[in-house]
Amino acid sequence: MGIVFVFLSASVLAVFTGPGGFSLNEAGDLLVFRVLRLVIGICAGGVLGVVGGALQGLLSNPLVDPWTLGVASGAAFGATLAIVSGMGSSVVLPIAGFIGALLAIGLVYLFARNGGVLPVTRLVLAGVVVSFLFSSLVMLVIVLSRRTIGEAVYLMMGSLGVVVTKSSVRMLVGSLFLALVGCGWLIFHARELDIISFNEEVALSLGVDTPRLTRTVFLVGSLVVAMVVVWTGAIGFIGLIVPHLVRMIFGPRHSLVLPGSFLLGAGLLIMADVAVRNLTPSGLPLSVVTALIGVPFFIYLLRTKV
Amino acid sequence: MIDYRGVDSVKIGWLLMALVLVLGGCPNGSVKEEAVHRGARDVRCVSLVPSITEIIYALNAQALLLGTTNQCDYPAEAKMVYKVGDFQTPDLERIVALKPTVVFATVPMHARLIEKLKEMKIRVYISEPVDIASVFTEIESVGAILKREERTRHLVDSLRQWLSMLPVFADTPRVYIEISAIPLMSVGSGVFINDLIRQAGGVNIFEDVKQPYPIVESEAVVKRNPAVILILHPGASAQDVRERVGWQDVIAVQKGRVFDGLDEDLFSRPGPRVVEGIYLLARILHSR
Amino acid sequence: MSAISIRELVFGYRQRVFFEKIDLEVESGEFLGIIGPNGSGKSTLLRLVGGILRVWKGEVRLLMRPIHQLTRREVARIVAFVPQESSFAFEWKVSDVVLMGRNPFLKVWEQPSVNDWRIVEAAMIQTGVYELRDESINEVSAGERQRVILARALVQQPEILLLDEATSHLDMFHRVEILQILSCLRAQGKTILFVSHDLNEAAVSCSRILLLSQGRIVACDTPAKVITAELIERCYGIAPVMTTHPLNRLPQVLFPAF
Repeated sequence: MGIVFVFLSASVLAVFTGPGGFSLNEAGDLLVFRVLRLVIGICAGGVLGVVGGALQGLLSNPLVDPWTLGVASGAAFGATLAIVSGMGSSVVLPIAGFIGALLAIGLVYLFARNGGVLPVTRLVLAGVVVSFLFSSLVMLVIVLSRRTIGEAVYLMMGSLGVVVTKSSVRMLVGSLFLALVGCGWLIFHARELDIISFNEEVALSLGVDTPRLTRTVFLVGSLVVAMVVVWTGAIGFIGLIVPHLVRMIFGPRHSLVLPGSFLLGAGLLIMADVAVRNLTPSGLPLSVVTALIGVPFFIYLLRTKV
Repeated sequence: MIDYRGVDSVKIGWLLMALVLVLGGCPNGSVKEEAVHRGARDVRCVSLVPSITEIIYALNAQALLLGTTNQCDYPAEAKMVYKVGDFQTPDLERIVALKPTVVFATVPMHARLIEKLKEMKIRVYISEPVDIASVFTEIESVGAILKREERTRHLVDSLRQWLSMLPVFADTPRVYIEISAIPLMSVGSGVFINDLIRQAGGVNIFEDVKQPYPIVESEAVVKRNPAVILILHPGASAQDVRERVGWQDVIAVQKGRVFDGLDEDLFSRPGPRVVEGIYLLARILHSR
Repeated sequence: MSAISIRELVFGYRQRVFFEKIDLEVESGEFLGIIGPNGSGKSTLLRLVGGILRVWKGEVRLLMRPIHQLTRREVARIVAFVPQESSFAFEWKVSDVVLMGRNPFLKVWEQPSVNDWRIVEAAMIQTGVYELRDESINEVSAGERQRVILARALVQQPEILLLDEATSHLDMFHRVEILQILSCLRAQGKTILFVSHDLNEAAVSCSRILLLSQGRIVACDTPAKVITAELIERCYGIAPVMTTHPLNRLPQVLFPAF
């Protein structure tokens, strides 16, 4: 078991020496960019993995993740508004992203709710619709503000190439720190997530404050995803497939699944980034790679689990 | 700088006639041409391309111009012309309602529209200049369509002459052109501004990239170490660029040769202001 | 001692009142069967007792303590709930499922101790699922699954057990199995509330029977006094054929002749 973890961490580290189409001994200044990419990639992949796992547990639904639930797109929309109104380097950016994410998840909840229950298929449907809605809104805002379509692409499809100025460094570090703290919180509640994943009523009878936990997981999940998405744009499928892969190895216990999803999500995202940067023409968004792997997996899930 | 706006064609006509009398020849009945076509309205045009709108005004043929796009904003009078929509999405109905005899469009932006116009048997002039030489050719073509040959020749000759007066430069600084900050986007091959830069005595660091508007990494920019940075978008100021983490070792940043607040139209519109653009670029690239 | 005490309970759905001032007393060690036609509120009443639903007005006391003064964890240490059936989205091991019952005794971050595992094992042995402990919960049969859930309930070490039609989906063999386990628990002094739609099952196992109809308590007495032709006809709307069990002299309901 531990071997697998070592492998995952090693893949993350190995990538450290690989990115970019250049040789290994580069001048010191290029290292800055690589480290930055790596840190952002680890946080982004890790966050998406953990939140995906937590949401799947909370909703007892193997088909949800930050992207299919609309959270990532909502955050990207918030970020778009901030960037377009010229406040992309201030604290407005993460806040706008958070509000966008909350809005998205609120809408999904509203659409999918049926009596007191959140049925699997309705949830996935509502999530995909909301995701699409916010993607379109991003496009709309970009076109109305007469910017290039490339910017919309990056926001909706993801990229680790964040340009950081001295003033926005603090913002970036703060966001990533918040994201990691949020992940920690989710991992902290691993056992309660286990119980909720059985059945809401049973969870109540076992002493879990189900409504409160549900709300808080949604809130923390939205916050954490937003903290990452406002910098990298919305990256899909990591949150969906990574927890499943980890469950296949370790079983469904969240105390193992959540940390495992963090590491595997980080590793996979970094590897995808390395692939995109070295093997494809410039500017290919990360989501293309993650979708190429993720979509067949999603179909497999649909056929076996639903 | 030559002011080719508002020059009375009548005056030119008389001048030429005087020249003719002096030189003892009557070349091509140009006086008659001008007289005939100043009053003739048989050419009715719609311009979907801002640079061509500029050309039309430079040739003093704006009387023939029925419609332009929202982005046709130079010269100032062009803003008052009836608008048929955005440059990106002009309205076919509005264009057709004006009953034009020729429509100026460009590819690939207007590809579909052009097909529709051709189906409706409306003449379309397709503009795709890629360098300075083709800009001059384009001015000539447009002038021919609008039957302003004299004026055209005058304009093109003076532009050519002005361009030839550009000095030879000692060095060829590498230039990084930024058209977006989030994400980082630059200019690749096949884009008009590359030729402008070359004429101004510089070279675009991403000229070798096949995509016209590639998304680039900070790493790539820093590695190619440009001597001059041009910010052609409102999303970042020169100060912002100087503060970018990891960019401190770029020559342009070290020597403070980062320029923002430039009029992008001067560099992106393949119209009569190109030479002005080149001179401006030359000043920026080679100043100390 | 009073195990469950309900005073003037008011509850309803979507603004409409359903339970209007219900009173009920359940003594420790009782095996109370709750029967009634569909929509009579059996499952709802059970959930109100278990704290899964909150009353609108009135009071529920567990072991003399008002439920609203207890935290969910404290309630979970007194009352355990066994639903009709369970489905699991993920491949949990049987032992993990039973372990969940220890949640009321663990803090949020705490991992179960050796003692917790001992309790889990004991419960699994008691309900006869110890051999299945490493199987996936989705692979075992319905009867086995219900016994696993029952083990989970036992691991809560509750005084009161609430079973919501817990045997409905089982065949006779497994039903008898569960009822036997329940009577053992009763012998240990536990109080059991058993919602059932099977009148005969309730008649032979329960010490008292509560008959509900449209949110009202029609009767609450021994099986002999409640399972009568008159009451059944009044509540269920059909005329039953009554008989008496040859061995224990308890009333049994037979299907009408067609």
